Amino acid sequence: MTTATLETTRRSARAAVRRRGRRDLLKHLGLGAFVLLMLYPLIWMIVSSFKPDHLILTEPGLIPSEMTFDNFAEGWNALNRPFSVFFANSLIVTVGAIVGNLFSCSLTAFALARLEFRMRKVYLAITLVSVMLPMHVLVIPQYIFFSQLDLVNTYYPLLIPKFLATDAFFVYLMVQFIRTIPRDLDRAAWIDGSGPFRTFWYVILPLMRPALVTTTIFTFIWTWNDFFVPLIYLTSPKMFTVPVALNSMVDSETQSGVGMLFAMSLLSLLPVLIFFAVAQKQLIRGIATTGLK
Amino acid sequence: MSGLDRRGFLKLAAAGALGAGLTACGGGSEGGAGGLSLRYAWWGNNIRQQNYMKALKEFTTQNKDIQVEPEFAEYSAFQERMTTQMAARDVADIFWIASPQVLTYHKSKLYRRLDDIPTLDLSGYSKADLDSFKLGGELNTMPFGIFVPVIRYNETWAKEDGVELPAVDTDWDAWAAFLVDYTRNNPGKRKGMAYEPDADLPFESWLRQRGEQLWTEDGRAGFTVDSTRAWFDWWDKLLKAGAVLTLSEQEGMSPDWALVGKKVLAKVGNSNHIIDDAKMFPDQRFKLRPTPVAAGAQAGHPFLYFPRMAIYQGIDDEKVQAAGKLVNYNTNNVAMLKTVGLTMGAPVNPKVFEQSKDFAGQDEKEMLAVVQAAREAERKPRFEAPPGTSTWRTAMARVAEEIALGRVNTADGSKRFLDEVQAGIERTRK
Amino acid sequence: MSRVSRLHRQGGAAHVFLIPWWLGLVLVTAVPLVASLYLSFTDYNILSTPEFNGLENFRRMFQDEYFWAAVKVTVIYVLVSIPLQLGFALLLALILDRGLRGLAFYRSAFYLPSLLGTSVAVAILWRQIFGDDGLIDRALSVFGLELGSWLQNPSLSLSTLIVLNVWTFGSPMVIFLAGLRQIPEELYEAAKVDGAGIVRQFTSVTIPLLTPIIFFNLILQTIGAFQTFTQAHVVSGGTGGPANSTLFYTLYIYQQGFTNFDMGYASALAWVLMIAIGLVTAVHFVLSKYWVFYGDD
Repeated sequence: MTTATLETTRRSARAAVRRRGRRDLLKHLGLGAFVLLMLYPLIWMIVSSFKPDHLILTEPGLIPSEMTFDNFAEGWNALNRPFSVFFANSLIVTVGAIVGNLFSCSLTAFALARLEFRMRKVYLAITLVSVMLPMHVLVIPQYIFFSQLDLVNTYYPLLIPKFLATDAFFVYLMVQFIRTIPRDLDRAAWIDGSGPFRTFWYVILPLMRPALVTTTIFTFIWTWNDFFVPLIYLTSPKMFTVPVALNSMVDSETQSGVGMLFAMSLLSLLPVLIFFAVAQKQLIRGIATTGLK
Repeated sequence: MSGLDRRGFLKLAAAGALGAGLTACGGGSEGGAGGLSLRYAWWGNNIRQQNYMKALKEFTTQNKDIQVEPEFAEYSAFQERMTTQMAARDVADIFWIASPQVLTYHKSKLYRRLDDIPTLDLSGYSKADLDSFKLGGELNTMPFGIFVPVIRYNETWAKEDGVELPAVDTDWDAWAAFLVDYTRNNPGKRKGMAYEPDADLPFESWLRQRGEQLWTEDGRAGFTVDSTRAWFDWWDKLLKAGAVLTLSEQEGMSPDWALVGKKVLAKVGNSNHIIDDAKMFPDQRFKLRPTPVAAGAQAGHPFLYFPRMAIYQGIDDEKVQAAGKLVNYNTNNVAMLKTVGLTMGAPVNPKVFEQSKDFAGQDEKEMLAVVQAAREAERKPRFEAPPGTSTWRTAMARVAEEIALGRVNTADGSKRFLDEVQAGIERTRK
Repeated sequence: MSRVSRLHRQGGAAHVFLIPWWLGLVLVTAVPLVASLYLSFTDYNILSTPEFNGLENFRRMFQDEYFWAAVKVTVIYVLVSIPLQLGFALLLALILDRGLRGLAFYRSAFYLPSLLGTSVAVAILWRQIFGDDGLIDRALSVFGLELGSWLQNPSLSLSTLIVLNVWTFGSPMVIFLAGLRQIPEELYEAAKVDGAGIVRQFTSVTIPLLTPIIFFNLILQTIGAFQTFTQAHVVSGGTGGPANSTLFYTLYIYQQGFTNFDMGYASALAWVLMIAIGLVTAVHFVLSKYWVFYGDD
């Protein structure tokens, strides 16, 4: 390649970058405005958590006339023990649930998506049907089951189901992902003499990474925010997860402590947000390194 | 993907499973070494949670052989959990009873009798008192507070606006006329009251003044369509006159006090609410007065409402004495009230009632006075909501809402409400 | 290797892979499911033993005005909010997908509402926005529109919940993004070599390869929408008001089962819902043959 052609290529590349820059700027402006609109409720909540309680509902604007950290200080200690206890509890449950789901759902999904066996379609249908169950009718029989095993007020009723692939959503998610992976890859492994376990472990699981990350993110968020199941199984306040603790701060009849509720809700958002921010980087890297070659 | 990721995945799995398991194991009971452990279940907000936790701790320091495992949740969450626990027959040893469920639980034999437990001292109550606590002739629940229906008003604003309230024994129409007048003339553009036809104690007061009852002794609805209609009409007139808040202004039925407290002069409700509610508006002074009295009201119409607690029927025999002790501490010991305050109403035990005056704040004194008046009045018996009526307040709120929205008239609404209540009772009677 | 022996060998392995699933199905799902099916033919008030009453619960539904109100609310919600939410999610995923700086920020920002999703705080936030004298009310009153509280207006209250659902478009968006990443770059390159422009690439590469993901989101969001509970419970305080305008089907199941202790009727209601969802999903699957493209088939 001559210097001249190299120069032309560079110049046109720069022009392209400039054009793209302008287009991106417009995109950013549009997206920025949209982000603001979307996040207005949250911003209001953040501002409100720094307002004294009596101003939150009376002073609707975004600029507070008075600032205070009381909501955080009081909220942190509002329930006899520092809020860190509830964070720790939520973390235990969440990490356990993630591990359980990754383990059990990936095994199940691989079998359902790739292995050939009788009744495969039936199994898939059952999985899908169990996504359709409204949880409220299952709660009572399940509770009776776990209370017979004397597991109420432990984290087992929240975790055992996760290790048993009962979050059919994720099984289904992974099945769909595996189906988008070209068959040639595992056929090649098959020809090389790998059995199903090696194929799963060395070929499919690495390629499933985006689905695994998605499962992790969703499990984290759903478990972190889940209220009804922990409420029923965790009776003792020291076992509460964050949402149960938050709920026990507010009285449904009066709305005292809105400021504290906002402050603690925001704090409880932080781990999920941080996790999401980190995990999504992971998601990009995962795809960048594995690619789909 | 590198090998490290897979190993990491496995390691994380192992560590996570182990960690979660271990912690879950450690999580059993609040107590542990030696002694009996009692499960105590109650509801409320964070302040009540804190106060009761403190009081329960004080109880266990005095009774070293007893541990208490607290089971706390906010009111509706409490009931959700309780429902599940009942289905599994895994109920706390001592539990508070939400008002619509008193007889439902009784029917399903959730309560243990209380008059054979030596540690629960019943000597402070008169025979008439004890009789009024009984359900189906048996003492199996323990009242731990008294509420009466009241009108609560903002005295600070009444003074600022220079209005004079009608006499205490005024009738409903005069009170309504006062509210209309107030709304028209006050400079703060405040309304008279919130729209609350679903307020249960005031409605019961209305019925009893007309010689009816909310519930009868044999577990039926004790009220007529006519009286209900008159009640809805009274509210509807106020609403149309603009003297009470619209549903939009108060954001729906059963409004939040934090929201409506700054918009109204007065509200109907329970006597005990003043204690938490007044704290939300520290610059204002609140007063209580009895609900208006219809001209020619039936004698004996005043009544007391008791929040109750019970000991679970299935409690282990060796725990009964300890449970009796704790219920006794709850109901007959002023030390407990000093810690938890009077948010659950005036003490039932007459001696404790007197003692509580010594530490009561101004709002609490206000409440004690209005309860005392009702206590001294002639009272006909009152019966609890029968099984199958646990949603009667929701049904009533729905009708009140539809009346306010103009979707149903008061006559049809009242009929529908009564029909729905009766259908619920019939279903459980079958 | 003969096909039969391969099937046999894979079948054995499959059952090893499926051990957790089997245990879960038997212990956590199937037993409660059968229990609830049985309960749907009984009169069961949680405290006493269930009494068989045949088809009474199902017969009762037809005369139950709340049941019909709940059906109406839920169907409208599904029909309106799913297309809106998925449309938003797909649009934003496409905008964010290719080489935009600050992608991580936008993705997190759009995802934030889903994180907050169903917390207790949402009830207060929603009142702040849609309530009397709230943000919307004040904005509209500038134009002389005095609607008061949307939450208390039976003809507007459901739309606030639809907005809430659309607001949480972040989760399907993330799945779309992950799906877009799955599309091999080579296919775009190949399409470019064939002279395909942006639009052509979009219609002949992006969309066909994304159809499994679109289908996935459609199925799950539809099922999720039929089961909407927490949002409705939080925003209406569990009443489904005003005037049953936000009485979602699952909220009604919950009211019957947990407040009214009528677990038999609640189970029957739940089974009707399940069958309805099953039918809708089956229709989706049948239709999917015409538009969903799987690489391996």
